[in-house]
Amino acid sequence: MSDALEKLVVEAGKVILGKESVIRLAIACLLARGHLLIEDLPGVGKTTLAHLLAKLLGLHYQRIQFTSDLLPADIIGNSIYNRNEGCFDFHPGPVFSQLVLADEINRATPKAQSALLEAMEEQQVTIEGKSYPLPQPFFVIATQNPAHQIGTFPLPESQLDRFLMRLELGYPDAKSERLLLSGEDRRSLLQQIEPCLELQQLAELQRQADAVYLSPAILDYCQQLLAFSRNNPRFHRGLSPRAGLALLRSAKAWALLSGRRQLLPEDLQAVLPATVAHRLHASADTSGSEGAQLAQYLLESVAVA
Amino acid sequence: MKRPAQLLLSGAWQYVLLLLLGLAVLPHLFNIERGITLFFLALLLYRALAVSRPGLIPARLPLFLLTLGGVANVLLHYPILFGREAGVALLVSMLALKLVEMRVRRDVYILVFIGYFVLITQFLYNEAGWLVLYVAALVILLTALLVDSQRVKSRFNPLPSLATSGLMLLQAIPVTIALFLFFPRFNSPLWYLGSERSQAVTGISGEISPGSISGLSRSSEVAFRVDFGAATPPAAQRYWRGPVFWDTDGSSWSAARESADERGPPPVLTASETAEPLSYHVTMEPSSERWIYALELPLLTPPGARLTADFQLLRNSAPERRLRYRMRSLTDYHTGALTSHERERGLRLPDNITPRMVELVQSWRRSSRSDAELVLNALDHFRRQEFYYTLYPPLLGENPADQFLFESRRGFCEHYATSFTLLMRIAGIPTRLVGGYQGGEINPLGDYLIVRQSDAHAWVEIWLPESGWQRVDPTAAVAPERIERPLDPASIADVIGAPIRFIELDAGLFSDLLRRLRWGADALNASWHRWVLGYSRERQHYLMRLLGLGFLHGPKLGYAMIVITGLTVAAVALILLRRNRERPDPVLRHYRAFCRRLARLGIERVPSEGPKAFADRVIAQRPDLTASVAAISGLYIGIRYGRLDNAKNRARFTLLVRRFRP
Repeated sequence: MSDALEKLVVEAGKVILGKESVIRLAIACLLARGHLLIEDLPGVGKTTLAHLLAKLLGLHYQRIQFTSDLLPADIIGNSIYNRNEGCFDFHPGPVFSQLVLADEINRATPKAQSALLEAMEEQQVTIEGKSYPLPQPFFVIATQNPAHQIGTFPLPESQLDRFLMRLELGYPDAKSERLLLSGEDRRSLLQQIEPCLELQQLAELQRQADAVYLSPAILDYCQQLLAFSRNNPRFHRGLSPRAGLALLRSAKAWALLSGRRQLLPEDLQAVLPATVAHRLHASADTSGSEGAQLAQYLLESVAVA
Repeated sequence: MKRPAQLLLSGAWQYVLLLLLGLAVLPHLFNIERGITLFFLALLLYRALAVSRPGLIPARLPLFLLTLGGVANVLLHYPILFGREAGVALLVSMLALKLVEMRVRRDVYILVFIGYFVLITQFLYNEAGWLVLYVAALVILLTALLVDSQRVKSRFNPLPSLATSGLMLLQAIPVTIALFLFFPRFNSPLWYLGSERSQAVTGISGEISPGSISGLSRSSEVAFRVDFGAATPPAAQRYWRGPVFWDTDGSSWSAARESADERGPPPVLTASETAEPLSYHVTMEPSSERWIYALELPLLTPPGARLTADFQLLRNSAPERRLRYRMRSLTDYHTGALTSHERERGLRLPDNITPRMVELVQSWRRSSRSDAELVLNALDHFRRQEFYYTLYPPLLGENPADQFLFESRRGFCEHYATSFTLLMRIAGIPTRLVGGYQGGEINPLGDYLIVRQSDAHAWVEIWLPESGWQRVDPTAAVAPERIERPLDPASIADVIGAPIRFIELDAGLFSDLLRRLRWGADALNASWHRWVLGYSRERQHYLMRLLGLGFLHGPKLGYAMIVITGLTVAAVALILLRRNRERPDPVLRHYRAFCRRLARLGIERVPSEGPKAFADRVIAQRPDLTASVAAISGLYIGIRYGRLDNAKNRARFTLLVRRFRP
């Protein structure tokens, strides 16, 4: 089984160059049944990564390009009168797919954003009093530009909380970038990608991730991390228990991805910045961009017993 | 956001603080000059007004002037700032000034601490049991206020703080008891300032004149308490002998200022075969005179006192503090022969003997064959004639004895005793006047005898060849009840002029209850004095001997206390520290040892570094250690983070770490 995961990582690495750790985190996020938020400047490969993951996992995926005039119905679908049968027919929107790529989510108005985010939370869509379950598995990979760009509606904290991880791609290193520049077009590369996993395999992997063993010592460590964030004055607000659960879930998937059946402090440390940075605010933070530094500070301050 | 220390208390708590500080100062208001009292009360009241009108709190300049005024006020009343009163006055004034200045919570803390200090100074004036309870109650309340002032919330709910404060006081009790028992005792309190205690203490003085004892009889203050080990002698035998009066100027009698040649050994008492001496303990209240009291006649001389030829027990100095002594007395005795000096003094008459007094004595002499019969005749005279025993005798003039015998015929014991003494001396019988206390009230709650100032009495001793010095109590001839029953000062107020009423022992439920309450209070007070204030250096030494620590006394005990206290505090601190630190798992301990050994090689584990990351780093730096480091780290991870935590693996891990000697 870990062979399949390794292959996944290797294949992805062929398209997104020099970003193995980000790819691993993204895969871990999906193994942990979490939604993923990719935040970076335009043109570093956000959309490519989302596309790539959908292809590799062999999931049915649809892409929604978020714009400021996007309406909720454009996401979840709407009922249209059927003149032949004299009734309303529900036409499902793009959200009814196994993987939804929500591109530039912070370009849309909060109204449109919340339509997607509700679907993420409830795993179902309700239109005119009728609930329609979303397909399983259901992943959302959203991308967004940094919040301080003009013409964006930053996601509120409570909605950020629904993403298990927030990743940043960053610029590629020199070697990878040279390779990228000289190589084939990414879009045509994506076309050639074959799925590496069956649906059942994915479900099995998710089950295995859940079963990763948590020892009392690792729970202590996790709790100390949470407690530190609550007691230290540098943190505006401490991490919530939900953040703690998210941390453990991601770390378990990371452990599985690393071929382990038990959770090590290193696993928690590996996923911690991606998992908690978007949930943290510094006491004296106005830009909302200090989460990553805080996460690093948290990591370095809590001793592994 | 303001910190709690920068906020003032809520209005309700401010009133409570003002009330508590007022109560803390209250007993002092009678101890210091009225000017200081007024200053304090005025500022307290002003601050109470300012609670709801913060604008009234004065600014810096008025406050400065007010402070100057306060200091001037103290200096005005106590020009030399020295001594107890001046100190207390200064303290109370400063408390008042700080009250006015109270703006932030920090001022509240200071005020509470000044309050504690004021409470302590109460003991400079009084050591009574009730004051201890009063002070303890105020300490609990002030501490509760202090506890509450640490809370941020502003709702007025004193109960939790009171509980905390009470608990703190309870926790302090064992420490208090230990310090009380073992801290080196001083024979006088640390704060004892010398001469200040010699204020007027009521009691029998060195001079008896008509009216001096009846004045005392209105005071229910305790003179002394007596513990009889076995049976208490009957009231009629309980004559507590004090000063002996030989000399009179015709109206007042003064206690013998004996000359140096009289300071011989006390006369030898001869007792009949059957006479059994009585043993008892006397706890005497402070007195301004040097006499200490014993049943007639004393056989022992307590330390610091001596027995004179006329059986007075005289201390070298007046007992300024409560005094407890053991005593033995012989009630059946013969004092032996009369010295010529005694005969001369016992017959000396003042100038103002009137012919009708001489006539009266001669009439008795004519009708009696012996001195003893004459005494009986004289007592009979008092009994048969219209003599009244009253607490409020009419004022008598130049010659009180004559006036009393022939005109007013109303008097208290001193009238009877002084006149009787003169009459006996006219008859040629050596006679002396004795002052002291008669009777006393048995407190069934503590099984001891309370002798009050109202039991003050005067009687007469005559010398007869067949019996030596013998007590005669002319008052008993008039009002035998006086000897049988105690005088009740509570019933006096409404009977001015009327013959004295005595306590009816079965006088209704209420007075019975009242008496029981008084007994209870006195028993408490007596035990307080006996067990707490009376815990002297000697008793402490005795206790230490009982505990087998007799070698610890004086400064040694002090050093021992310092060492023991230091050790105890250190031990408690250690226990508290330990309790907060859980004992690490042995696996963790061994792993730390492993890390320490690697640190010696220069590969130090960062505290936040996980075991696998560390192992990878070590192996990268020291490939030669790969096998052992990988084995140890792998096992550690398995035990601590995996499912391999069993005894076998733990033992193996311990072994591996022990063998790891890079």
